[in-house]
Amino acid sequence: MRHYEVMVILDPEAEERTVAPTLEQYLEIVRKAGGTVENVDIWGRRKLAYEINKKSEGIYAVFDVNCEADTVSELDRQLGLSESVLRTKVVRPVAR
Amino acid sequence: MVKSPVRKPKKKVCAFCQEKIDYVDYKDTALLRKYISDRGKIRARRVTGNCTRHQRDVATAIKNAREMALLPYTSTAR
Repeated sequence: MRHYEVMVILDPEAEERTVAPTLEQYLEIVRKAGGTVENVDIWGRRKLAYEINKKSEGIYAVFDVNCEADTVSELDRQLGLSESVLRTKVVRPVAR
Repeated sequence: MVKSPVRKPKKKVCAFCQEKIDYVDYKDTALLRKYISDRGKIRARRVTGNCTRHQRDVATAIKNAREMALLPYTSTAR
């Protein structure tokens, strides 16, 4: 089991209320595989430093995950397939 | 006789070592902004005064932040 921090940028056209349920759907992947999800933090709408897919803002969300390496790469893959996800990033924060 | 001016630059101490920060978070854009120029370039170590390790950590954090559009790659101000 390892600790990961995942950040996703979601499509700004989605309603901010629907963000949590959409994320939950993906977090289920982690839970099913025996991992745990902690502090889901939805930053909300934020201006992008540069345009991504012609969009100048995005909805940011950050969450911590404790799971196996395979699980997190599967999660990353699934997120990447989704149309409503602009970008994802998985980091492993060391020494904390 | 003209003496060539001998400059003794004041030795800067790495801000991260002083603060005892050992993880530079790429999400902390307020902090990272101090280490990029107004053009969006990463400031050199001789400017920031960071130690080798922390300069590297800052650079990596800035690059991560750029990927997530938190910081610009370039800013066309000017």
